[in-house]
Formats: sequence, structure tokens, C-alpha cells
Amino acid sequence: MASIDLDGRRIEIREGDTVASALFRAGVRTFSRSFKYHRARGLYCLSGDCPNCLVNVDGVPGVRACSTPATDGQRVRREHGWPSVERDLLSVLWRLDRLFPVGFYYKMLAHPRRAWPAAEPIVRRVAGLGRVDRAALPPHREARHLHPDVLVIGAGVAGLAAACAAAKRGEQVLIADEGEPAAKLPPGAARTRAEALLARLRARENAVLLERATAVGVYEGPLVPIVGPDLVSIVRPRRVVVATGAVEQHGVFAGNDLPGVWLGRGAVRMAAVHGIAPGRKAVVVGGSPETAAHAEALARAGLEVVAVERGHLLSAHGRRRLSSVRVQTAGGSERIRCDTLVLSLGLVPRDGLLRQADGIPAVVGAGDVVLPGCSPDLAAESGEKAALTPATGERAEDVLPEPASSGVLCLCEDVKVSALELAWQEGFRSTELLKRYATVTMGPCQGALCHGHLRSFVRARGGGTTAAATTSRPPVRPITLADAAAGVHIQIDQRTALHERHLAIGATMEWIGAWKRPERYGDLLAEYWAVRRGVSIMDVGTLGKLMIGGRDAREFLERMYPCTVSTIAPARVRYALLLNESGFIIDDGLICPLDDGRYYCTLSTGGAEQGEAWFRNWAQYWGRRVDIVNRTQALGAINVAGPRAREILAPLCDAPLDNEALPFMRQLEAVVAGVPCRIIRLGFVGELSYELHHPASRSEELWDALLAAGDVVPHGLEVLRLLRLEKGHILIGQDTEFDTTPAKVGLQALVGADKGDFVGKLEHDRLSAIPLDRKLVGLRFPGAAAPVEGAPLLVDGTIVGHVTSSRSSPVLEHGIALAWLRQHHGAFPGTVAAGGLSATVVNGPFYDPEGARLRA
Amino acid sequence: VSFLVLCPHCGDRPYTEFWWGGELPQPLPGQASTGDEEFARVWLRRNAAGTQVEQWYHADGCKRWFVASRNTVDNRFDGID
Repeated sequence: MASIDLDGRRIEIREGDTVASALFRAGVRTFSRSFKYHRARGLYCLSGDCPNCLVNVDGVPGVRACSTPATDGQRVRREHGWPSVERDLLSVLWRLDRLFPVGFYYKMLAHPRRAWPAAEPIVRRVAGLGRVDRAALPPHREARHLHPDVLVIGAGVAGLAAACAAAKRGEQVLIADEGEPAAKLPPGAARTRAEALLARLRARENAVLLERATAVGVYEGPLVPIVGPDLVSIVRPRRVVVATGAVEQHGVFAGNDLPGVWLGRGAVRMAAVHGIAPGRKAVVVGGSPETAAHAEALARAGLEVVAVERGHLLSAHGRRRLSSVRVQTAGGSERIRCDTLVLSLGLVPRDGLLRQADGIPAVVGAGDVVLPGCSPDLAAESGEKAALTPATGERAEDVLPEPASSGVLCLCEDVKVSALELAWQEGFRSTELLKRYATVTMGPCQGALCHGHLRSFVRARGGGTTAAATTSRPPVRPITLADAAAGVHIQIDQRTALHERHLAIGATMEWIGAWKRPERYGDLLAEYWAVRRGVSIMDVGTLGKLMIGGRDAREFLERMYPCTVSTIAPARVRYALLLNESGFIIDDGLICPLDDGRYYCTLSTGGAEQGEAWFRNWAQYWGRRVDIVNRTQALGAINVAGPRAREILAPLCDAPLDNEALPFMRQLEAVVAGVPCRIIRLGFVGELSYELHHPASRSEELWDALLAAGDVVPHGLEVLRLLRLEKGHILIGQDTEFDTTPAKVGLQALVGADKGDFVGKLEHDRLSAIPLDRKLVGLRFPGAAAPVEGAPLLVDGTIVGHVTSSRSSPVLEHGIALAWLRQHHGAFPGTVAAGGLSATVVNGPFYDPEGARLRA
Repeated sequence: VSFLVLCPHCGDRPYTEFWWGGELPQPLPGQASTGDEEFARVWLRRNAAGTQVEQWYHADGCKRWFVASRNTVDNRFDGID
């Protein structure tokens, strides 16, 4: 016999059972404990709209028992009760309600400031709906993209009629239902109609039915994500028909949340679909066209039925489950003993998705969601119409006629009417404010039951426009984070080919834009002195690298760069800036002409994609014959730097590297340790250094060969920042701002003075005529200390700038910085104070100003 | 936001594959006849609530730029060059 396990107890299941129906048949009445007060909660809506049957199924919390098919071997746990959901001592909180008024965590735990951090773990343990197993890795979920002509959400009579009508016209139709279509309807006209439509639809080849697939949101486009049991469908239909139906109206009165209180359609579903009598004696509170049918269905299931008019129900009573109700009579009031109270009060639209679609064309409602309580005939007609005429705007209002005066208005978040009254007195006087303050409508049901009550509460207090519907947002049904991440495969960090090598020698990695780079390997000073006194290597494979060829390559680059390009001979390299049309620096890098007329251009780390887009835009605009290949990922680069760089590189290299063969700012192609390299001699760190650009597939063997060459220590980013600062080299983005011109950072020499047109020339020329008010300068501090980056510069108590980069220099034995400095009383100050230290303003590199070490 | 962008080379693709290149400057580069026009071209934007002519770059596709006119209110495209 098939069975499921409930908290260690074996429970038999039958064909067609949901988890909820199996548990209910076995006598379970308390399914969960409420969010705040730990009230016992039992089955209520049976349509997936309320939070009462949320249980943990096979380790997943927050699963709706009423919408989950029971399968053999399932492990069901009721959560959030202490010691158990059946006997929960924390239900005493209901009696201590006065201690926890609405918003208590804002009021009572605000002072002293330590109060909330101390209380938070307790509050979090006590409140809530379940626990996530943090050790369990969520499964990867796949996503697919679908592009039907028409998407129909909800396979009731209206939805099926819409799908059939669209399919008949030859359109591709996708119809999704969160359960099995027709299965939750009791026998009757609606079910017969739905089954007939379903048979017609299934005969159509151009219609696809997704079962147990929940549409969780409507985005512009329109785009509708549908979470199914196996995968998530991302649907971009031309038109959407929302046929999500209606929910039985939630009843709000004292005792309304006791187990044994049911919504009409829920009780009937238990009796007529699952064949289980919800109790022995039912009081049916009526007033809707369906009331008589509900009473009849319950009587047929063997219940003794007492009918009570809407408005005559006063309160429900019982300990842990319903035992009686009090109703109004001609002479006063009367108590009726019963174990079941059925609320058959009419329908409110289940319109969360439709409200999300406000302003999105081509989304239309059909059936109960726009005509709550309509007949099957009317629903079918409405569906057909919606499928054929994409008219919009039809909406049903969900303001309820009379406001509730007591009871639990929001079951999910345990918000009582009295809590809303207090919040109203405190000044939260609109639906949106009450929503945020009291969290009403913000639970798992997303207002499916309580939204109309909230609106009537506000309207009854004279709120006109403040009683407007609150904004509906995705997801309308609970989803897991795995669902939200479905289909995501990308690795979120970019890595160079040497990533594993760095980790293997203990590097601390750091985010640089999308890249992960080694921050340090261990001893920073050892890394530093290796560059300044010995030899060191660094992975600079993150540099942007573009290969630019084609007939017009030279002319094109001449117009892209502010420096002269055509005069750079092959074998030479030039450091260059890129300007935008405003004349501001957007990136820097090298221009390396190749023998065959192509150019190899480097960009800063993180500048590759933007740089490539920038180059392509202009190449296209000018209609130039230029081929641009982004080789950033394909090529690795390792910088070999330090006074001993040549000494260790020369024996590995098949070409001479002496000063005559490869002087400063030159390049050549050679083979190093068997790996073909473009060797570029330059000096960002201020020492003799060679950048080896090579195929990334061979980075590891080159790296290993260099490390094995004798006493070679790699250095990371932290040391690089210090080394380049000693040379006064700027980092684009750190030392520059969005409106930095070459003149402001002392790089005016990189703009060709008598050059023809280039991007940014007009603005550059115009800005050059304006005297500089601000510029980037060097600061030299007398002692080893340096102020923090960002520290303001002061002259006589006036702020005249700020520090952009600062370090203590080991080789110079004093603090250094780059800083933006403003004119003060018509001149740039020569001394400033920063971080409590006095500094001298200097120009040019701090270290080796003549560049002798670069040319060594 | 979740709209599709009609790339003239690749067809309808999700907007996440594209970079938005901002309003198309008017007049186009190199076509300003006065200093004032050049200034307006580089610096001034309409920032319209409505139809706006823009540059788009299909970064995760054909890597080509195109000009499209988009309604900034509802993200509908009504013309592509």
C-alpha cells in the first residue's frame, strides 16, 4: 500500500490524493502554526491560495499540501511549532498579544541600539513559516524559451475556451495550469464543460498544455515565467489571456482562523472531489449564488447542514479547532455546536497577474477573474472573446462591501483587524502604507485572500484614492531560489588561464570588475622587493587586447587616438589615451603596429568590452574597412619585471634581449620557453620589464618555466598599486573622473598638437583654451605615513581637493599620494594638509624620475 | 524590463544581449556646421518621455551597432535602421 511519512507517522495514500487530502483522511486537522502567534491552522481554501497548509515536503519548506500530489515515500514535516505543530506552547503568544503590537520591532526594540541585534535571532526563530536546509545545495534547474502566439494562464472553462478558440484559428497556443485541469472541480456543469473543452484541445496539434505549471508573473514584452515541475519556461507570447479564476471570499470575524473553518469551494472540493467529509455538522454561511450548491454537496457527503445568512455569523469558538459558532437571531444570539463552518460568501478575482499586467498591451482577462461568479456559459464566451479580440482594461473590483471588525484579516502574516486599527491611528492611512507597516498582503498568498478586505477597511474610514489596489508584484505564487535562477549557466567571475596556478600557491583573490585577480600571495614586502631589487612576474592577462586589421586600419586608428599613429614604426610601441567626444579620457593602453599592417592595441583591465564596442561603433559610422577581433580571452600576458628580468628571461628566449636588440618601448616576436610570445618592453612598475603576450592555452607552461628560472617571486595587485604609484602612473577610474582631460592629469603630451581630426578633438581644443582650475598632483609626506585614499586636502581649513591613491613607499621611506588639487586664491598651493599630515605638492614620478631604471 | 530588441542582423533577441548606446547625437559626428551645433551635439540630450532615436549594440550577438527608435515609456520599438 502506497504511503507517505508525516513526522514519523505512516499515512496511507489513495489514487488522486494530494498531500492535504491524504493527511486529512488520516485525521490530521492542524496543518501548520501561524506566522506570528502560533495559532493552529487547518485546511481552508484547498485552492492553493491560503498559507494554512504549507508544509515541508522532502526537505523543501513552504510547499502547499493542497496542490501537491501525494506520491509514495514522500516525507512530510509540519514546521514551526514548539515542541510540535500539534501541541505548540508558543501559541501563548496569542494571549500576550498586547506585548507585540503592530510594528513592535520598530518601536520596542529600537532603544537601546543593542536591543534589536539581541532580539533578532529570537524573533526570527519564533516567527516564520519554515526552515531552509542550508547544507543542501539546491538542484540546478533548466529553463527553456517559448514563443507561442497566445499564452493562456489557467485551464478552467474560460481558459480552455480561449485556448480552443485561438487554436481553431491556427495559432500556436500554450496553456498552463498550476494543477491538473478540471481535476479540482466538483462534478457539475462547470466540470462537464471543462472536460469537453479539454478533449477538444488535446485533439489540436497546435496547442500545448502544461500541467502543474505556475505562471508567477507578467512582465512587459509580455514575458511570463512559468514554473513547472521539471523546468522553468520563459514564455514570450504575442498575446496573453489571464484566466486565473476567482477565490472564495475570505471571512473575517472572531475565531475565523480556527481549523474547521473552510471556504465554500474548499469544503466542497474535499467532499466531492476527494470523497472525504470535512466534518459531521456544518454551518454554511451564505449569500452567494453558489451557496445552495455548497450546502447540497455537503449534505450529500453526509454532513448535517445548518444554513446561516451572511451577516448573521458573529463569531467562531473552539480550542485548537472549531467547536461552535455564535449567530445572530431575532431575539439576540444563539450558539450552534458544529465542527465545520463553511464560508460561501461569494468570489473575489484571483487577479494578481492581471494587475501586474496593467499598462502592458496584449494582456487580457477572461472568466471569473474579470466576471467573478459567472456561469460556465458566460466563462466560455468570455474566454473565446478574449482569445480573439485583444481588448484590454476589463477588471473586476475586489473591494468587499462591508469591512471586517475583528478576526485575522491576513492569515499569512497574522494581521488582526485590531492591528490595522492601531496602525491607522498611528497615521498609516492608505492601503500601501498599511501594507508596508503591518505587512498585510505581503505573505505567501500575496493578498489573494486579504487584499479586498484591506481595501474595504481603508474605504470604510473615508480613504478614497488611498483605498486603491496595492501594486502587485511577481512572484504571485511562492517559488524557490532555484526556480528564480533556472537556466543560468554563466560563471559570474572571469578568470585568466593562470587562475588555478594562483590558487595553488596561496594567492588571495580579489574582484576587479568581472575579473578575479591575485591580490597578494603572502608576504607583500617580499613581493615588492622582488620587483625593485630582484625579479618578479605578474599575471596581466586581464588587459584588454584588440587586434585591428583591414585596409583602413591605420587611417581608422589615426582618427580614434589623440596621438599620432601613422608615425609609429613596427617594432615600436606607444602609450596612448582614448578620448570620448567630450574630450575626456575613457581608457589608456598601448598601440603596437605589426609588420603586416595590423595593429595590436591593449586596453585597461575591464576596458576590453567597452573599448571594442567603441571601436566598432566608429568603424561602422565611418564605413571603414576595418576588422576588429577582441583577443582578451584568447591571449594571456605575463609581466616579467625587476633589475634581474633580462638575466632570467634571456636564457629562455630564442632572440637577444639586450638594449640594442630590444630597447625601452619596443616590441618583438620571439619564443620563450617554447611558447611563442610578443615581447613588449615597457615599465608600468618603473623597472626593467617585459610583457609576454602569448596564447592563453599556453599560459601555464610559460608561468611554470618563469617561476622555475630561479628565485622568481610573483607579485599581486596590492604591490602593483604601490609600484605604479611610486612612478606616478595613473589608474583610469581610480585617479581619473568622468570628466578628466589629458591636461588635468599632466598627459597633454599624449595629444598630438598639430594632428588632424580625431574623436574628441573639437571639445579637446575648446577645453584646452580654458585655464585649469583642478589638476592631479603628487603629494609627498615627510614621514612614512600616508593618509587614507579619499582624504580631503586642506589649506587654511578650506578643502582644496582629495587623495585618490596613497601608500607608504618602502624604497623612498616616506608617504606618497596622487590627489586632485584645486586652485586656492588664484594659484595651486605648494603645501597642503591631508589626514592630519602636511604634504608637499610635487610633479612627476616619485621614484626614478629620469626613468634610468626602465632603460637599464 | 524584459523586452525584445529587433536586431537588424539577428532578429528578435532578449534585451539582455544588447548594450544601450544612448540617444543618437544630432547632428551626427562631423556634420555640425557651427560651434554651437557641435556643442549641442556632444552635450545636449532630449531625454524624451516618448519616442527617442537611439544607438544599440548587439554585444552578445553580431557585435554590430544599429539605430532604433524606442518609446521610452513602454519600451516599444517603432523603427530600426
